[in-house]
Amino acid sequence: MLSFRILDFFIALLYFAGALSFLLGLIYSSKKTQDRSVIITATGFGLHSLDLVLKYSLGIGEILTQSQFYISLLAWSFLLIYFFLWWRLKLKFLSITAAPLALLVFTGSLAISPTTLPVPGPLQGLWFGLHIGSLFISMALLAMAFGAGVTYIYLNKKIKTKVRLGNVSKEIPSLQSFDRVNHLAVIIGFPLYTVGVLSGFIWAAFTWKTIFTWDPKEVITVIIWFVFAWLFHRRVSGSWRGKKPAQMIILIFFLTLASFVGINFFTETHHSLRP
Amino acid sequence: MEQRIYLFGLNHKTADIEIREKFALNGFNPINDGLIDKDSPVDEALVLSTCNRVEILYVSEKNFDEVEPKVLGGWSGYCRHDPELLRKHTYCYKGLEAVNHLFSVAASLDSMVLGEPQILGQLKDAYRKSVEEKTAGVIINRLLHKSFSAAKRTRTETAVSSSAVSISYAAVELAKKIFGELNDQKAMLIGAGAMAELAALHLINSGLKEIMVANRTPERARELADRFNGQSMCMEKMLDNLHKADIVISSTGSSTTIISAAQVKKILKKRKHQPMFFIDIAVPRDIDPDVNLLDNVYIYDIDDLKEVVEENLASRKEEADRAREIIKEEVIKFSDWLRSLDLSPTIVDLLSRGETMARKELRKSIRSLGPDADEATCRAMEQLAMSLVGKLYHDPIVFLKRRAREEGSSQKFIELARRIFNLDDEPMHQDTHQNRKERK
Repeated sequence: MLSFRILDFFIALLYFAGALSFLLGLIYSSKKTQDRSVIITATGFGLHSLDLVLKYSLGIGEILTQSQFYISLLAWSFLLIYFFLWWRLKLKFLSITAAPLALLVFTGSLAISPTTLPVPGPLQGLWFGLHIGSLFISMALLAMAFGAGVTYIYLNKKIKTKVRLGNVSKEIPSLQSFDRVNHLAVIIGFPLYTVGVLSGFIWAAFTWKTIFTWDPKEVITVIIWFVFAWLFHRRVSGSWRGKKPAQMIILIFFLTLASFVGINFFTETHHSLRP
Repeated sequence: MEQRIYLFGLNHKTADIEIREKFALNGFNPINDGLIDKDSPVDEALVLSTCNRVEILYVSEKNFDEVEPKVLGGWSGYCRHDPELLRKHTYCYKGLEAVNHLFSVAASLDSMVLGEPQILGQLKDAYRKSVEEKTAGVIINRLLHKSFSAAKRTRTETAVSSSAVSISYAAVELAKKIFGELNDQKAMLIGAGAMAELAALHLINSGLKEIMVANRTPERARELADRFNGQSMCMEKMLDNLHKADIVISSTGSSTTIISAAQVKKILKKRKHQPMFFIDIAVPRDIDPDVNLLDNVYIYDIDDLKEVVEENLASRKEEADRAREIIKEEVIKFSDWLRSLDLSPTIVDLLSRGETMARKELRKSIRSLGPDADEATCRAMEQLAMSLVGKLYHDPIVFLKRRAREEGSSQKFIELARRIFNLDDEPMHQDTHQNRKERK
């Protein structure tokens, strides 16, 4: 397992270098450094994919009960969505959130001591996979839209108040492109979130023979779902654009973060990842 | 024999427009107009004549006292004006000062609008002309290429040319910050003033999809719309079509506001809250400033834009100091090269390069002999290598020395030798081979 430790270390190192060099590229307005940072992060992502595949294929059955694996997978999905948005919208800039978040969550996965989760039965595996997969993708979309939202609000304020755009602001893409990220995150993210929540209930029905257990995680998830649904409705109907959805998505991202970190680690429930 | 670089010129700082007009050198040919002697192996000249500056870069072996009357005399003679008048308005730089000035001009640090990019293109044209007319030699070739790369360095390493310094361009820059590429955007011109027209032109050049023109007199609207391939309408139809426009440039002579915040709010709903950018260059203003309170609406009036431009100019001035440092470095590099054009440094470089190569190969060969190689063999091999270097470089050195003695100048050959033997460690240009392929 030592070889995996070395691999993990390299992945974290690449994410760190990717995050740092993008920041430097931004500060010194160097396109070249920015491009290089994306290559570094992509290399880390490639190694990370290899790492996950190897761990899965070597320890099949075993690995799916390790909380470490899921957190690492979450870091991986952040970057997956980042590269997806980069390909769709040509938005390299989101590296500013993607690389540090991936670094943070990935090193977090290394830092926690391994715990064993309840093993999903063979029949329930499908629901469980759907639950984890759709929720992780929608969380990654939320994370990217969070970065886009913060930048949107910053740049919007600068243009509205007619403050001079400095060298760093010059490197920031247009407001419209960040709004597009928000749009995609809501249009794709909300249905996925719904699928994730529903499949969770179905899985719960199979595993615990009950649908809703008043687990704090479940309560907060339902609250998030309602807020998300409202945002989804406003976006689709075309009555919200720009600042408001950006603020909303920041709120939703913080709620999911609170539910993921706060509840999974600090409470004793069946969502707990605590050792 | 030493060659000297001189630069004579006048610009917007030393001469006003009447003088610059009088002494413009468009169409001046340094050979035909007697500035340099066709048969002289060393004289080189380059003439740059734009609306803000007229400059002559002159390379010769002669002293300043000889060169100055010749250049200024030729110049005023060509323009048929008084040489004394010319002398009063010109500056002259010698040697590295001239190099520094030329690099600064190329980097647009000497321009009226600091950092404006046109001057580099004009300098490139001037250089092309001098090459065609065969007045550019070893020094001017190198000098101009280095000035282009120095300009490029200042542009990439400092922000001296980065922000907009004209009102219409500042508006375009803001539009891009809001909408990104303008390929899907439509604009509406309300009123047809000259500045609005200029802003529209900039927008079109930046890829704007379509333009609409609304004006009080339909004929003028039609005329302008035709020029931009757009749609024209009378003023009454303007509000009905406003929801189609992402960018609105307003410049009417109306004494009251013509678009109110309430109207914009309604229009915004019709557009499903897609962002709108109002550029109000009319005085008094055409658009209610309160529209700025609406989400997804941005408005800049003429004063806002002027402020942006002034701040940008101020930041360019700061950046210019950093750019000047870069220029200084480049001048030092150039002076190193200039010094290497003398014969003796080249001989030293040639021999030391050969020796370095020989020592490297020698080490490899001795290593391949193994640890048992005896001292005598090693010494013999060393002798062989060193004498080979001496013999191989003997003939080129003799050739260079003879040229220097017989022709008074061996610079052409020294420069060639330096390139053949790669004494300056010049990196190969990436597109070197590409060009060759294309030419085939």
